[in-house]
Amino acid sequence: MADPTHSDPKLISREKRKTVGDITVDNPRMTCRNVNVYYGEKQAIRNVSLDIARNEVIAMIGPSGCGKSTFIRCLNRMNDTIESCRVEGEIIIDDVNIYGRDIDVVPLRAQVGMVFQKPNPFPKSIYENVAYGPKIHGLSQSRAELDEIVETSLKKAGLWEEVKDQLEHPGTGLSGGQQQRLCIARTIAVSPEVILMDEPCSALDPIATARIEDLIDELREQYSIVIVTHSMQQASRVSQRTAYFHLGDLIEVGKTTDIFTRPKHQLTEDYITGRFG
Amino acid sequence: MFKKTILLAAALGLIFALGAGNAQAARDYISIVGSSTVYPFATVVAEQFGKTTSYKTPKIESTGSGGGLKLFCAGVGVEHPDITNASRAIKSSEKEMCVKNGVKEIVEVKIGYDGIVMANSKKSAPLKLTRRDIFLALAKEVPDPKGGEKLVANPYKTWKDVNPSLPNVKIEVLGPPPTSGTRDAFAELAMEAGAKTFDWIKAMKKTDKKAYKAVCHTVREDGAYIEAGENDNLIVQKLEANPDAFGIFGFSFLDQNTDKIQGSYIEGVQPTFDGIAAGDYPVSRPLFFYVKKAHVDVIPGMKEYLKEFTSEKAWGPDGYLSEKGMIPMPDAERKQYHNAVENLTPLMMK
Amino acid sequence: MGLAAILASLAFLSLLFISIIGKGYTAFWQTYVRLDVHLSADQLDRTELETADYPGIVKKTLRSMFPEVKSRGDKRKLYALISSGAAFQIREMVLEDPDLVGKTVSVWVPADDDVDMLVKGHIERDVPEEARRLTDKQLAWVDALTGEGRVEKRFNRTLFTHGDSREPELAGIWGATVGSFLTLAITLLLSFPIGVASAVYLEEFAPKNRWTDLIEVNINNLAAVPSIVFGLLGLAVFLNFFGLPRSAPVVGGLVLTLMTLPTIIIASRAALLAVPPSIREAALGVGASKMQTVFHHVLPLALPGMLTGTIIGMARALGETAPLLMIGMVAFIVDIPGGFTDPSTALPVQIYLWADSPEKAFVERTSAATLVLLAFLIVMNALAVVLRRRFERRW
Repeated sequence: MADPTHSDPKLISREKRKTVGDITVDNPRMTCRNVNVYYGEKQAIRNVSLDIARNEVIAMIGPSGCGKSTFIRCLNRMNDTIESCRVEGEIIIDDVNIYGRDIDVVPLRAQVGMVFQKPNPFPKSIYENVAYGPKIHGLSQSRAELDEIVETSLKKAGLWEEVKDQLEHPGTGLSGGQQQRLCIARTIAVSPEVILMDEPCSALDPIATARIEDLIDELREQYSIVIVTHSMQQASRVSQRTAYFHLGDLIEVGKTTDIFTRPKHQLTEDYITGRFG
Repeated sequence: MFKKTILLAAALGLIFALGAGNAQAARDYISIVGSSTVYPFATVVAEQFGKTTSYKTPKIESTGSGGGLKLFCAGVGVEHPDITNASRAIKSSEKEMCVKNGVKEIVEVKIGYDGIVMANSKKSAPLKLTRRDIFLALAKEVPDPKGGEKLVANPYKTWKDVNPSLPNVKIEVLGPPPTSGTRDAFAELAMEAGAKTFDWIKAMKKTDKKAYKAVCHTVREDGAYIEAGENDNLIVQKLEANPDAFGIFGFSFLDQNTDKIQGSYIEGVQPTFDGIAAGDYPVSRPLFFYVKKAHVDVIPGMKEYLKEFTSEKAWGPDGYLSEKGMIPMPDAERKQYHNAVENLTPLMMK
Repeated sequence: MGLAAILASLAFLSLLFISIIGKGYTAFWQTYVRLDVHLSADQLDRTELETADYPGIVKKTLRSMFPEVKSRGDKRKLYALISSGAAFQIREMVLEDPDLVGKTVSVWVPADDDVDMLVKGHIERDVPEEARRLTDKQLAWVDALTGEGRVEKRFNRTLFTHGDSREPELAGIWGATVGSFLTLAITLLLSFPIGVASAVYLEEFAPKNRWTDLIEVNINNLAAVPSIVFGLLGLAVFLNFFGLPRSAPVVGGLVLTLMTLPTIIIASRAALLAVPPSIREAALGVGASKMQTVFHHVLPLALPGMLTGTIIGMARALGETAPLLMIGMVAFIVDIPGGFTDPSTALPVQIYLWADSPEKAFVERTSAATLVLLAFLIVMNALAVVLRRRFERRW
């Protein structure tokens, strides 16, 4: 039985904070080693190492403030927008450290796309929402080509049938679930390799959530997906691997089925059995 | 960043271009500044001039006599005014400033007189005052009523206190603020003249001129004198509302509002057009304008404007300026200044 | 308490409006007199139509209408009934159509301001003669003209088409309106782009350090500086240093730009801040650069708020007189300004000047001009409200 004082980080020994489980995979899409993140003086992520495989959905779970969102925001350098934020360690994609010198974040963010917690379509037409990324990255030579990108992206996001007759209508006029799928289509349109999803269903109703979860499963065919979720059910439904974060430490990584049935670490067990979180 | 830099550069460029462009271009209208008292008269002449000649209508700014002379004396050139109006004669310090800045020749033109009136609502009886009464009623410090040659803070509350022949009404006078030329003139012509009726104060002028000026010109600040701003129309409205109050302003405002207000008698003379013109009404002052001689042949229309201003149909006894309330000069004086303008006789600059 | 305060302020506001409208509405009408002018060929030499004695023609017409008036003084009083503008009006008419010479034409000319005041009831007939601006004889003449149907109140077009004048019946606000327009055009042209660019830079790009803090504090301070100070600054910098012309709309515009810039910058920054971070994230998330994020997404969304701030700043600039005083725009200017460097005044300045004029007829014109200014302000503020309603998004 766990001691409730375990939730206090000072009382967790150095030994107990070491990641349990295999952090590596064969032929990884992304490789993170010894990542530390600071907000000013405060350390938010402590020495996290983790591989992200190809064509997998990896879920990040953990109690609020555990650093899971901070971590995935390191993967496409979205943390750059926060002035006090500082990242150490290396995150490698295609043999390049994205925190290395002379790295242009613009192509990186096309390569590693992101879907946010609240659906945030641009206050423009559905078409413009999807076409914006390809336009600024110069992915299309002609209007026809652009039309095609928009259509495929919307099809992949499972939204095409619902919106094909109202492409000129504002994206903000759609329902919450449709908006989130529009955001996914927008991300897909710039042909990323990795898609980061930061609690993509937390603002949606159960039906819309199920729709997105099905979509995530389909998208796995083509992309690596890193999803942050506070719902353990969701994590177990959509992901192949799961990583459990606790107060800035990566506590345990492993196959989703293993994590939820046979957690190795006391903290993981406490969390999934609902002792805290 | 770029956008901002470009815009700033463009704005600065615009300023420089305009500045340079203007410095070369000649001005094609007359620029006049100066006294707010002369303003209503000068504008009439300017308008008449603009409508009856092919020249542009002169631009007239109401800056006050002192402000006008400061601008006028700042130098020679199109960026400086050509003429300044004044409700007093130019001071020697101002002449020095003019000379220092290269304005060596200026022509002084006296145009007429303006009476300063103390008026009240027609609902009450007119007051019959002497300048001594005015001094005693409005000065900050007055000779001790118990006698002796010493000054005390003004103890008078009602006009009857000042002079038993006056009505038992609280002293309440609305007048212009210290920045006004009207106030200066009133202090000099009414209050100082009243103060001089005390021989020992008159004697002070020789012994201690500063103290003398302070005694004569300092207006009481205990609420009996209310500074009413430069807007004389407002004073007229307040007088209508309060029949016990008196107002101090230029004659032209009395002239336009004779149905509502009346001027007080001063030394037995009521401020009327004829009374001021004849020189009987004591509180009146001359009005002037000064011309920069160096500009006369440079700015188009200067000579014609001067001619218009000094013509009989403008400043004569039946001229349009008298309709606006300006008191014309006697014939001989008009002739003298008319000649001064014809010959552009410059002022002696010491 | 709060309700009482609001009610009280509303009461005062309506009192202000009622008093201004009550005083001002009569100024939109002006008394005209119909004269049958004989343009005799003796007085009008076809070769010198420009310089002919038009006042003489008006006087002759009046004499022929009242042949019993003989003495010089009475004649002067008779002539005083008609505005001096009548002669200019006939002059223009003849110059436009020289064929009128030799004919008798019937024209409506403006009456003198005193007659106008009488017709409008501002001059009382039952006070003693010497307390009136019009004598008993003049009253009788006006009555005779009225009896013949020659006196009529008509819409005062002069008020909206002419520049300033010392004759109330000839004075108009068009010159001041054009001056205000030119001044505000410069102000808008400079302050909007500079203000928006500064706000975008400070809010989106500038690093947060002591310098930007200092700039921020200064901008907030500038917004609270009394406007006369900007006038002094304009006098020192634009007139004395750059040598720009006095009384010109370009200088007025520059000074008012300085005055409105802080307002616009503050409003624009608030508008930028109001754009939700999720939009920036969305744009950054698909790989837009900082520049692209700001110019493609943030700026268009903030623009309505910026425009609202700008319009309110402009409305404040429109009502300003104090800074214009220092740069010589408080002046008597008759000619309608034709460009940015011509001397001109502005609407509030015109109100200020008229308020200080002795003629009684200027009182109602002051109120009328105030009404026009208020109308402009209401239109501008309504535009700001409409913009806000129309484009403001709730997130």
